Amino acid sequence: MLRSLTAGVVLAFAGSRANIARTILSCTGIVVGVGALVMVVTASDFGQRYAVTTSEVQGGLPATLQVEVSGEVTDRAALEADLLRVGGREVSLYQTPTSHPLLRTGQNVVTDMSVNGVDPDLSGIRRLDLARGRWFTDADTASLAPVLVVNESLAERLGDLTRVQIGTERWRDARIVGVLSDSSQDYSANSAYLLRSPASEDLIFGGAEAAAGPPVDGLPPGAGFGDPMARSTYLVLFDSEHPAAADPFGQEFRTALGSVAWRWGADVPAEGISAFRVDHAEAMREPLRYMSWGLMGIAAVTLGTGLLGVLNVGLVTVRERRRELATYRALGASRTTLFVAVVMEAVVVSVVAGLIAVGGSLALTELGALLVERFLPIPDSVGLYVPGGAVLVGLGSAALVGLLAGIIPAARALRASVVAGLRD
Amino acid sequence: MSVGAPSPGSPRTAAAPLLDVRGLTRHFTVSGARIDVLRDCTFQVARGEVVAIVGQSGSGKSTLLNLLGLLDRPSGGSYGFDGEDTTRLGEGRRSRLRGEGIGFVFQQFHLLERRTALANVGVPMVLGGVPLLRRRARARELLEAVGLGHRLHSRPHQLSGGEQQRVALARALSRSPSLILADEPTGALDAASSAMIMDQLLEQARIGEAAVVVVTHDPKVAERADRVVELVEGRTL
Repeated sequence: MLRSLTAGVVLAFAGSRANIARTILSCTGIVVGVGALVMVVTASDFGQRYAVTTSEVQGGLPATLQVEVSGEVTDRAALEADLLRVGGREVSLYQTPTSHPLLRTGQNVVTDMSVNGVDPDLSGIRRLDLARGRWFTDADTASLAPVLVVNESLAERLGDLTRVQIGTERWRDARIVGVLSDSSQDYSANSAYLLRSPASEDLIFGGAEAAAGPPVDGLPPGAGFGDPMARSTYLVLFDSEHPAAADPFGQEFRTALGSVAWRWGADVPAEGISAFRVDHAEAMREPLRYMSWGLMGIAAVTLGTGLLGVLNVGLVTVRERRRELATYRALGASRTTLFVAVVMEAVVVSVVAGLIAVGGSLALTELGALLVERFLPIPDSVGLYVPGGAVLVGLGSAALVGLLAGIIPAARALRASVVAGLRD
Repeated sequence: MSVGAPSPGSPRTAAAPLLDVRGLTRHFTVSGARIDVLRDCTFQVARGEVVAIVGQSGSGKSTLLNLLGLLDRPSGGSYGFDGEDTTRLGEGRRSRLRGEGIGFVFQQFHLLERRTALANVGVPMVLGGVPLLRRRARARELLEAVGLGHRLHSRPHQLSGGEQQRVALARALSRSPSLILADEPTGALDAASSAMIMDQLLEQARIGEAAVVVVTHDPKVAERADRVVELVEGRTL
């Protein structure tokens, strides 16, 4: 049996090599089908990773709720303790300053920028891809100067990061400890995270602009003024299984939090609390899955067409090769050997086609990666590449198609009379 | 050069005939009508013997050769090959026996068109599981023995009819068979090539101690056989 199988495989390889034209003809449909399949798997994989990463970078890890409390919060520590008590695992302030602070280096004032007041714990809630420097530590809260982490665009606009000043009505020295890659940008191209600390409390929450320094001049009209509403914003990370995470509008969470509002908000009505999910990876997963299935279906149809092509060529060639196959039988080929030889020829053709398709897909993906890198601000970890699984799926499907396409011609080859074949 | 040593392990004895054909019949049914092609064939062939089967067209020579070559099954009678009743054998054993014990030389050569002479001679050895290097060496040796050492890498269409038949002969000898079946081996060749092919066929068969059964119309070919079996309307005389 083993000898028959081995002989069949050897004859199949020799046959494929000897009949280059037939091999190429059979290949075409499979190349397109397998190529499409590999590209679909690649695109789907990229889409998933891109969706997850952008969600984690721009929203938060699953499940992150943005909680907004309207009205005056009298005891922030109590509010933050209650946010944890009602189910939050991590809590970070995520506050748009009431007075919109600006940054400058020397006379270079950056006005088109967004600032958010945050805590060091934001790193446990949101994915932060640092291009250089570091994220905030608890020790930074003792800094006498406001501490910032900016994105690359803003860093470039500022130039010299050692001479940065921040201010609304008056400039004061600030310290930048890290630069986030642009893929981590917030809502505007130039963004900065300002660490909540005693040195920045007034910048974030307003109040007395007590810091000394020269007045901010040359501001465009409207600049220097932030959100006039008295609103406190937090990002709260929950376990994905938590009921608050399952409810996109956070009804249960809001009710629970509202019932203890008296502890920290003298003037916070129940309807003044809002909560909603800011991570969107899970929401995107379903449409992405449907899209993948749709594309997979198209690839499968293409591959099926390729299968019919190989089957057709196989059937025609078996008829044309009656004499050759009869000669093999006369020379001692068993039925098993002949079956294996014909099936394996189809498999060899399909796998060769699969390899060509994978090679083409790798080249196309490489090209696509260059374009994506150029036009899409994505983290390095979301590179566009052909995943190993796509290669396996491609080659596996090619082999399967070859196998399926080879069985019918092989069965027909076995049914043919040896004597009649030799007489052809 | 000796190129056709008998394969070891065959239960050969000097006394038993290699082929023992008794009352062999073969009929076909065409459109409901039965056609008796072989009615009663009985003869033996000893080891190393050269037997010519002659007869008019339609006398059943090729059908008999197909039965002897285990390419077809008889309708009745028995056919013993090397002491084994082949009519009782399964398809797998018949294929193996065909590969190991029988070499074919066809009138139309039946070489594989897209393969070189070397590869064509190697095919029976591929089927026999002979490793690549040994296969190549043996094929080269055989082609040199039939005078084609300079055409190893030629494909069939690059060879003359006589050369193609010599490649076919080398292929038939590649697994040192105990029986060579030749169906009109010189039918497609001119006189000079015919003589050369017969010389080489008989010479190589003698070296390998193989029996030869040759179906022919050609009296010159029949003359060179040790014995002639004549078929008349499907019966051996």
